Amino acid sequence: MNPYHVLRFVGILVLFLGLSMIIPLGVSLIYKDGSTLSLLWSMIITTSAGLLLSVSIKKDDNKQLNHRDGVAIVTFGWIAAGLVGAIPFILSGTIHDFSNAYFESISGFTTTGATVLSNIEYVPKGILMWRSITQWFGGMGIIVLSIAILPFLGVGGMQLYKAEIPSPVVDKLKPRISDTAKTLWKVYLLITALEIILLLGGGMSLFDSINHAFCTMPTGGFSPKNSSIAHYNSPYFDGVIIFFMLLAGINFSLHYRLITTGELTAFVKDPECRVFLSMVFILILVVTFNIYGSVYDSILKAFRYASFQVSSIITTTGFVTADYEKWPVLSRNILLFCMFLGGMAGSTGGGIKTMRVILLVKHGYQEIFRIIHPHAVTSVKLGGRAVPSEILSSIWGFFILYLILFVASTLAMSFLGLDLISSFASVAACIFNVGPGLGVVGPVDNYMGIPLVGKWVLIFCMLLGRLEIYTVIVLLMPEYWRK
Amino acid sequence: MKIIIIGAGEVGFHSAQKLSEEGQDVVVIDKDPDKVRRITEDLDVQVLLGSGTSPGTLKTSGIIDADMLVAATDSDEANLIACLLARNMNRYILKVARVRNQEYLQEKDLFGKDLLGVEQIINPDSAMVETIRNLMTVPGASDVIDFVDGRIKLIGITIKPDSPFAGRRLSTFNDLDGNLLIGAIIRGEKILIPHGQDVIQAHDLIYLVIKSDELHKIFGFLDIREEDLRRVIIIGAGETGTSLAIALDKTKLHVKVIEKDSQRCASLAEKLEKVIVINGDGTDKELLLEENINEMDFLVALSGDEENNILISLLAKELGVKKTITRISKLSYIPLVSAIGIDTVVSPRLSAVRAILQYIRRGKVISVAPLKGEHAEAIEAEALETSDIVDTPLSHIKFPKGALVGAIVRGDEIIIPKGDSMIKCKDRLIIFALREVIPKLEKLLTVKLDFF
Repeated sequence: MNPYHVLRFVGILVLFLGLSMIIPLGVSLIYKDGSTLSLLWSMIITTSAGLLLSVSIKKDDNKQLNHRDGVAIVTFGWIAAGLVGAIPFILSGTIHDFSNAYFESISGFTTTGATVLSNIEYVPKGILMWRSITQWFGGMGIIVLSIAILPFLGVGGMQLYKAEIPSPVVDKLKPRISDTAKTLWKVYLLITALEIILLLGGGMSLFDSINHAFCTMPTGGFSPKNSSIAHYNSPYFDGVIIFFMLLAGINFSLHYRLITTGELTAFVKDPECRVFLSMVFILILVVTFNIYGSVYDSILKAFRYASFQVSSIITTTGFVTADYEKWPVLSRNILLFCMFLGGMAGSTGGGIKTMRVILLVKHGYQEIFRIIHPHAVTSVKLGGRAVPSEILSSIWGFFILYLILFVASTLAMSFLGLDLISSFASVAACIFNVGPGLGVVGPVDNYMGIPLVGKWVLIFCMLLGRLEIYTVIVLLMPEYWRK
Repeated sequence: MKIIIIGAGEVGFHSAQKLSEEGQDVVVIDKDPDKVRRITEDLDVQVLLGSGTSPGTLKTSGIIDADMLVAATDSDEANLIACLLARNMNRYILKVARVRNQEYLQEKDLFGKDLLGVEQIINPDSAMVETIRNLMTVPGASDVIDFVDGRIKLIGITIKPDSPFAGRRLSTFNDLDGNLLIGAIIRGEKILIPHGQDVIQAHDLIYLVIKSDELHKIFGFLDIREEDLRRVIIIGAGETGTSLAIALDKTKLHVKVIEKDSQRCASLAEKLEKVIVINGDGTDKELLLEENINEMDFLVALSGDEENNILISLLAKELGVKKTITRISKLSYIPLVSAIGIDTVVSPRLSAVRAILQYIRRGKVISVAPLKGEHAEAIEAEALETSDIVDTPLSHIKFPKGALVGAIVRGDEIIIPKGDSMIKCKDRLIIFALREVIPKLEKLLTVKLDFF
C-alpha cells in the first residue's frame, strides 16, 4: 500500500464532500432555519482540510493504484466521509456528542437509515437536507461518484470500483471505468428526479419530496418526518415509494438496459431479477394473509401495509408505514429474514443479495445431487452460464464471514445489556444497512438508547455491510500490512 | 472510437493496452478465464468471456456500433472468421487481422473489399524478421528503424562505458553539425527527449537520426566498428526462426539453425537449400563449440522461451560471438538485460503494437515506430499547409515539451534541423515524442483543419 496515494485520494474526497455542502447551505438560506452559520463553518473546515490533504501531498506519478491501495482508499475514504458528515450535526447542535454524530453520519453514508434523533421535525431543514444527501451519495457510492467526476482515474479506478460496488461479479457497462461510473450515476439521477416529480404530483412539499427521493433511491430510509412515510397516510405515496424502493433494489445495469433499449423484457430475462421479484411477491402475499384479520380487518389495507413493509425491508430501505412490532410472529420473522436477503447485486440495497442467495442454494443442491450421482459432472449455472468455481467459493467465504461477524456482534450487543431480540435485530438492521430493527430499535424507536460502545459496534457493522466485508476486513489482517 | 479486440494473448493484450491509453473505448473478447481476469485487473477496458468467432458474443460486445475490429488470436482461421462475421454484422467496421500463414497472405484477393475487407494485416513474425534483417545491415546498432522509404535511418546505439561519448554533453557534438541528431535517450526505464545541456552516460541507449547514405561516415566518426558479416547462427526454428532462415537462405550469408525438435528440423530442412539445420539444444555449450560458435558473427536467439534466449545470448557472447540478437517479449526485462550486455533485442510486442499504431494514426501520420520501452515514439508525418508549423522557424513553434523534430525531408533533400530551420508545406517530418504529448502533437500537426 502506498500511503501517499491513500491520503491524497482521501483528501480529494473530503474536498469534494465539503464543496457539496453548498446544497444544504442553500436550503438553510432559503428556509432561514438558523443552521446557515454552522453549515458555512462545516463547509469551510471540510474544504480546507480536503485541500490541505490533497495539495500538500506530492503526487507520486507513474505509479498505478494497485489492489491494496484500492481497498485502503475505499475504506479510509468511507471512514473520513463519516467524520466529515458528522461536522454539521455537531456544529449546529443537533447532536451534541461525537459518537452519536458519527453514528448518524455513517448511518447516512452507508444508507442504513438508523437514527439517534428522536424529534426529527425539530431539526433545521439545512441539516435534514445534509442528512439526506449523505444517503444519496452513499447509495451509488462516493468512490464511484469520484471515478465518474475525476478524469485521472483510469486503471486504478477499476480497483476502487471493485472495492466499493456491492456485487460478487463486477460488470462494466462501458469500456471505460469512468464512463461506467458516469452512466450509473446518470441512471441514478434520472430515477431520483422521476420520483421527486411523482411525489410532487401527489401534493408532497418540494423539500419533503426531494428528501424522500434522496433517501429512497439509495435504499437509505432517512425521513424528515418523525413517523416516516406513515406521516402522510396516503396510498398514493405508499404506492410511489414502494415502486421506487423496488427499482432501487434492482441491478442498475438492468435500468440502464431498459433506458437504452426500451425493452421491458430485460427484467424478465434476467434470472436474478425474476427470483427477486417473485420472492418479494410471495413474501408480500404471506404477510398479507398473516396480518389480515389479526391486525387489519380489510384485505386491501393488509395488502397495502404488507407490501410497503416487505418492500422496504427486503430492499433494506427502512421506511415504515406501520408498527410491525405489533404484527404476528410469522410476519415479524419474515421481515427479519428479509433483512438477510437484501436487494439484487449491483443495486443500492444491502443484505446478502439475491444473486448470492441463488448461487448458495444452487450450490447446496449440487452437493446433494452429487451424493445421488457420485460420478456426475455438474456445474452451477445462472441464466444458462456456468458460474466459475472461484466465484462460488468467494461467495461461501463471504457468507461464512458475514455469519461470524454477525454472531460476534450480536454477542457483543447482548453483553452490553440488550435483550435477545434487540441484540439480534440491531446487528441485523445495521450490518444489512436496513435501519429499523425489532425490540428497542423497532420501527417507532431510535438508536439513542444503545450504549456508547454498542454504537461503535454498530458503526463497524454498517461499514462492513456497505463495503461487503472483504474491503474492510482485509485491512485488519496483519498480512495486509506486511511489506 | 470503439474498438473490439479478439484474443487477449500477447498481441491482443498489448494492442488493448496501447489503444486504451490512447483514449479509445476498447472491448476485449477471450475464451480463457485466466487471461480475462488478468486483463480486467490491469487495463481499463471491457472484457467479455467467450469466443470471438461466436456471433452471439460478437453481438454482445456491441459490434453493431463499433468502429474497428482487431482479430489477434493465435489462430489465423479464427481471425479470418471473426472478420467475416464482423463484416456481415457491420458493413462499415474497419478490420485488422493477425495472419501468419504465408499461403493465406499470398492470396491477396482474400483480404480485398469483395471478400473479407481486412484493412490491415498484422504479422508480428514477418515484422520481426524485417527488424532482424535491418539490424544485420547495421551491426553496431541496437535498434534500426527505417523512415521515408529507407532514406532516413533511426539508429539506436548503446553507449559502452569505454565509449568516447560517455560523459559528453550534447552541445559538444557541434563538429558533426548537419549530419546527426540525437532524438531520444533511453536511460534505464526513463526516456528523455534531449536538450543541448543533457549529458550522455554509459549504458544509455541513444537514438540517432542519420541519412542512410552517410551511415558509414558517421559510424566511422562515432568509432563504431563495422565488420563484414558472413556467419549467422539462429537458435530456435519457431515461426520467426523459420521465416528468418528462409529469408536468409537466398542471401550470401552462411546460416545455421539449431532446433531442439527433430520433426521441426526435418520440415525446415526440406524448405531450405543452403542453410544448415542442426538438431540439438541451443543451451548446450558442447554443441555450440562443435558448430564453431567462436567464429560466428551473429547469433539470433529466437526460441519461444525468453529466459532461455537471454542465457543463450550470454553464453554466446562468452564464447566469442561478435553480436547477438535476442527475442524478448517482456519489455520489463529490457533494462535488465542491457545492463548485462544484451543490448540488441527484438520483441513481437513492439512489432505488433507498431502495426496497430500505424493503422489508428492513419491519416494523421505516415509511419510510426515505438522506441524501446514503448514510452516514446518516432513519428513520420507530412506538414500540412493548414498546420501552424508551416513557414515558421522551428525555434518559434510551440512544440509540446517532450517532442523534437529529428529530420525534415524536402523532395530529395534531407535536413537535420536547427533552431532556424523552416518547415515548408508538404515536407515530411520525423518527430520524436513522449507518449503523453502525442495527442497535443497530433493537434499541432493538423490544428487548422479543425476549423474547416
